[in-house]
Amino acid sequence: MIKMVTTRLASSTLTIFILVTMVFFMVHLTPGGPAYSILGQKATAASVANLNARLGLDQPLLKQYGIWWWHLAQGQLGYSYLLNRPVGQLLWQYELNTLVFYTVSIVVSTVLSILLGLVQGVYFGRWPAKIIGGLQLGFYALPAFFVAAMLVLWFSVDLPWLPASGITNLRLPSPTIASYAAHLVLPVTTITLLTVSSLSRYFGEAVHEELAKDYVRTARAKGVSFPAILFGHVLRNALRPLVTILGLSFPYIFTGGVIVESVFNYPGLGWLMWRSALSQDYPILIAIVLIIGILTVLGNLLADLVNGLLDPRASYE
Amino acid sequence: MAFSTRVPAMSEQIATAGGMAAAPFARWLGWISQRSTLVTGLVISGLILFIGFAAPFLYHVDPYAIHPAHALEAPSWAFPFGTDELGRDELALLLSGGFATLVVALPAAILAFVVGVTYGLASGLAPAWVDRLMMRLLDAVLALPSLIILIFFASLVTLNNTSLILLLGFISWPGLARLVRNETLAQRGRDFVLAAEQMGAGRVYVARVHLLRVMAPVLVVNGTFMVGDSVFALSALSFLGLGVQPPQVSWGSLLESALDIIALDPWWLILPPGLLVFGSLLAASLTGQGLLQRWGNNR
Repeated sequence: MIKMVTTRLASSTLTIFILVTMVFFMVHLTPGGPAYSILGQKATAASVANLNARLGLDQPLLKQYGIWWWHLAQGQLGYSYLLNRPVGQLLWQYELNTLVFYTVSIVVSTVLSILLGLVQGVYFGRWPAKIIGGLQLGFYALPAFFVAAMLVLWFSVDLPWLPASGITNLRLPSPTIASYAAHLVLPVTTITLLTVSSLSRYFGEAVHEELAKDYVRTARAKGVSFPAILFGHVLRNALRPLVTILGLSFPYIFTGGVIVESVFNYPGLGWLMWRSALSQDYPILIAIVLIIGILTVLGNLLADLVNGLLDPRASYE
Repeated sequence: MAFSTRVPAMSEQIATAGGMAAAPFARWLGWISQRSTLVTGLVISGLILFIGFAAPFLYHVDPYAIHPAHALEAPSWAFPFGTDELGRDELALLLSGGFATLVVALPAAILAFVVGVTYGLASGLAPAWVDRLMMRLLDAVLALPSLIILIFFASLVTLNNTSLILLLGFISWPGLARLVRNETLAQRGRDFVLAAEQMGAGRVYVARVHLLRVMAPVLVVNGTFMVGDSVFALSALSFLGLGVQPPQVSWGSLLESALDIIALDPWWLILPPGLLVFGSLLAASLTGQGLLQRWGNNR
C-alpha cells in the first residue's frame, strides 16, 4: 500500500514538473511578453523596459526559471500583475469558495448517481433503465454553458426563485448561510446534471454486472432477501469502479467549473482563471494551472486509496 | 481526450430486423432500424453541416445589418428567429456563426487526428526508452483538462482562425495518441506483423499497410468523437471570450452575448445557439456509437 502510494506520488510529481516547465517556457517565449498587456498596446519602449526590470522579466530566461522555482519552494507564487497583490493571498479566498462548491457538487452527484445506477442495474433492459439511459445520453451531450444559461432563464428570470449570480447577497448587512446556499443551488445543479449522466451510467453497468455473478445466485439460493443482497454485497462491490471514475473525472468537473463559475459569477478558482486569462495575468494563471494539476493528481491518488479500503486486493495490483 | 467518458448508446433498444421482410420498403425499414443510432447521428450531422455551409447561400440577409427600431424582438415573420439587442437578424447571425464555428472546428479536429495518430504510431514503434519518454510527456499534457490548457494558451496568442485551428489541433490529440500507441503495441506482436517484419518490411511500411488498416475502425470511431469535441471546445472558448473574436460571431459567443442581457428574458437568443452546439455533440456521439455497433462485432 505504502509502496503503491510512493510510486504514484513520484510519477505524479514528475508529471507536474514537466507540465509546469512547459507552461513556464510557453509564457515567457511569447512575443511582447506580459508588459504589453499591462501597459497597453501604446506603451513606449522605455516604459516597457522599466516595467520588465521591475518585474524581473529582463533577466535571462533560465535565471527567471530558477528564481521562479526558488520562490515556489518558499511558497511564493509571485505578484498578480494587474491586481498588484501576492498571488498566494489572492488565491486563498477563491480556492475556499471553489472547494465548497465542488464538495457540495460531488456529494450531490455521487448520491444521485448511486440511486439512478441502482435502479438502472436492477431494471436492466426494462423501461425504467431505458428512460434513464436515454436521459444519460441526452445530458451527456449538453454543453455546460447551455445548461447554465437555461437554468438562469427558467429559475432566475421566468420564475424569480433563485439568484443568478454572485456568492451571496451583498446588500444584506451580514450574509446569512441561507443566502450562500441559495447562490449555490443553480451552479451545483448544472455540474450535477452534467456529471451524473456519465457517473450513473458506469455505476448502473457495474451493478448489472455484479448482479449476474455467482455470489448473488448463491445468496439468493440461501434465501437472503433481495434488498439485503443489493445493499449488503452488490453496492459495495459496484462502488469500486465508481470511486475510480470519480477520481478520474475530477479534472472534468473543474472544466465544467470554469464555465459554470463564469456564467454565475461565482468567485472561485475557475472564475479567477477566466478573468486572468482575459487580462493575461500570467502569475495567477500559472499558479492556478499548478493547483489544478496537483488537485488532479491528488484526486486520482485518493481514488486509489479509497479503493484499497473498499477492496484490499486492489492495493496489491 | 477530455471527454472520453462516453455514454454507450442504447444498443439494447435497437430492434433486430426480421429475416422475413420481403418488400423492398420493409427491408429498407429493417436496414434503417438496425442502424437507428448511426442513421440518427448522420442525419443530425448532415443538418449541422447544412446550417454551417449551405444555408448562407440560401438566406441572403446581412448578419451585421442593424435595425434599431426592431431591437430585441421575439421571432416574427420579418425576423424568423427574432433580433438581438442591436436589432440584428438572429437567423443570419446563427448561420454566420455556424460557418465561423465549423470552419475552425473541422480542420482542428483533422489536425488533432493526424497528430494523434502519428504520435501514437511513432511512440508504439519506437525503442522502449523513447516510448517511455513520449508517454511521460503525454501524461503531462493529460494531467490537465484540455479546456484549462486551451484557456491558458488562448490568452497567450493573438486569436484568429489559423491560431485557433493550431491551438485546438495541437491540444486535443493526446487521448487518441495514447489509444493508438496501446493498439500499436497490442498489434505489433501478432503473426501477420511478425511475418511482414520477417520478410524485411520496414517500420513505416508495417505502420502504413498493416497497423493503420487493422486500426481503421477504432480510428474512424474516435475521429468522429473528436469532431464533436472540437465543436464543443471552440464553442466553450468562444463563450468565454477566448475563441472566435468579434466582430465575427460564433455559436459560443452568441450565447455569451445573450447571457449579458438575460434579465430581459431573450429565450430566442439562448435556445438556438445552445441547441446547435448540443446537436453537434449529439451527432458526433451518435454517429460514433452507431459505427461502434456496426464494427464492434468484427473485432
